[in-house]
Amino acid sequence: MSMNRRHFLQATGAAATLAALSGCATVGKASKARVVVVGGGYGGATAAKYIRMYDPGIEVILVEPNEAFVSCPISNLVLGGFKTIADVTTPYTGLTNNHGVQIVRDMATAIDTEKKQVRLAKGDAISYDRVVVAPGIDFMYEAIPGLNNAAAQAQILHAWKAGPQTVALRKQLEAMPDGGVYVLSMPEAPYRCPPGPYERVCQVAAYFKAAKPKSKVLLLDANGDVTSKGPLFKKAWNDLYKGIIEYRPNSKAIDVDVKGSAIKLEFEDVKGAVLNVLPPMKAGNIAAPFITANKRWCEVDWLTYESKVAPGVHLLGDALQIAPLMPKSGHMANGHGKACAAAIVALLNGQPPSQAPTLSNTCYSFVSDKLVVHVASVHKYDTKDKTMKTVPGSGGVSAAMNELEGSYAMNWAKNIWADTLA
Amino acid sequence: MFNRSLGIVALAVLPCVAIAQQPAAAPAAPPPPAFAPSDLSPSGVRALAANCAACHGTNGKTQAGSSVPALAGRPKESLVNAMQEFKDGKRSATLMHQIAKGYSAEEIAALGDYFANQKP
Repeated sequence: MSMNRRHFLQATGAAATLAALSGCATVGKASKARVVVVGGGYGGATAAKYIRMYDPGIEVILVEPNEAFVSCPISNLVLGGFKTIADVTTPYTGLTNNHGVQIVRDMATAIDTEKKQVRLAKGDAISYDRVVVAPGIDFMYEAIPGLNNAAAQAQILHAWKAGPQTVALRKQLEAMPDGGVYVLSMPEAPYRCPPGPYERVCQVAAYFKAAKPKSKVLLLDANGDVTSKGPLFKKAWNDLYKGIIEYRPNSKAIDVDVKGSAIKLEFEDVKGAVLNVLPPMKAGNIAAPFITANKRWCEVDWLTYESKVAPGVHLLGDALQIAPLMPKSGHMANGHGKACAAAIVALLNGQPPSQAPTLSNTCYSFVSDKLVVHVASVHKYDTKDKTMKTVPGSGGVSAAMNELEGSYAMNWAKNIWADTLA
Repeated sequence: MFNRSLGIVALAVLPCVAIAQQPAAAPAAPPPPAFAPSDLSPSGVRALAANCAACHGTNGKTQAGSSVPALAGRPKESLVNAMQEFKDGKRSATLMHQIAKGYSAEEIAALGDYFANQKP
């Protein structure tokens, strides 16, 4: 059963929705249109906020199952023991209180593009004029057959969606006897957060160096070399963690042996006390009907973020088939959210979207508790190839790891969390 | 061990491979990007400025105690000067020299105007 807009607003059963509505300045007034945003990560939450900022006459409903936003950026420091999960958690209440975004705490199960409705796991379907689908990534467990069941996944974690898995992996590291080996397996690019795995081994190594000096870190990289900030990470591994971190390129996991606590490569099995496997990734499951590239990612019009196959459906963030040299990062998803919000506001007001969108990106990585390296880029719309391209001469990486950028990185986090959620 | 010895072999043959591939790789560098002309309409500048917000806060207003400086309400001239000097390499920076090179002088002027007019 579904609801039209009036019924949705009048529904008495949706207690959580009504609670959210009470803080909404536009209750009682007819809005000019409704946008439903599916997924409250860096992309979706930002889009929800900015649509309301740019045009308070548009009703925005954010569908998100989690109670609070947990940031992937900075979450590797939870594994290092330098931050807690609370430090990287921000409530969604700012979106409601400051911007009148209505939050429905539920899981979207399907986008019905014919009826223009988002179907929910618990509640009634919600009608939309336009929908923003920002589901992040899901894992292709079929590529690691031994991990393709719930029991194995509870034991061999990814911790690549910050939250309970981050806390659980930290506990596994704490419980590991000194002298053990932590093994991180990472997939071929593209995957969420290019520098993330290289930062993660630094964080785990920093913990071992201080608390478990006989323990080792082994990074099995499916790629031929470090895919992001390579010289900077290699220098950090050599200068800070010599004898602790071992890096093996061209080491693609093809399976796991859960009982034997081993990762299977093509020619050998690699045992470890704590295994951390990042399977290959694809657009989050709800976006499956909009996947058009390599059976994994969603292609969009970079002027509007509208799906190439579904009018009225906008897609954001890690689920996208990226433009050249565009990383799958939280910062980039935040930028997608704003560009998409501007385009949706223009379209719903009968105006053309901007023909010259610009995006910028900064990814900071903590190679210790204080030392940081960055990669930055600026992307503009290319009218001939109809994609975003980096501006020649712009962008780059840190000259060397440094503490000043450690301070900037933490303040980047505070400012982008507020830009996304407050 | 297996991987390491393979790695050494690969390194040894690398120069030959590079030479062998050179003729094939020689054809012209990719054409310069055909970027759209800057959108300096009010909504275009607002969208441009939204890029700054990820680090410098929504509309240039940072969180309390931020070591990344706020932009809102600062004099246009000082903002534009800083960006132009970052761009020209005359002002030292960790990353702003890399970001500033992504924006034209007209865009920098429009951004300076935008942030100067935001309430701090």
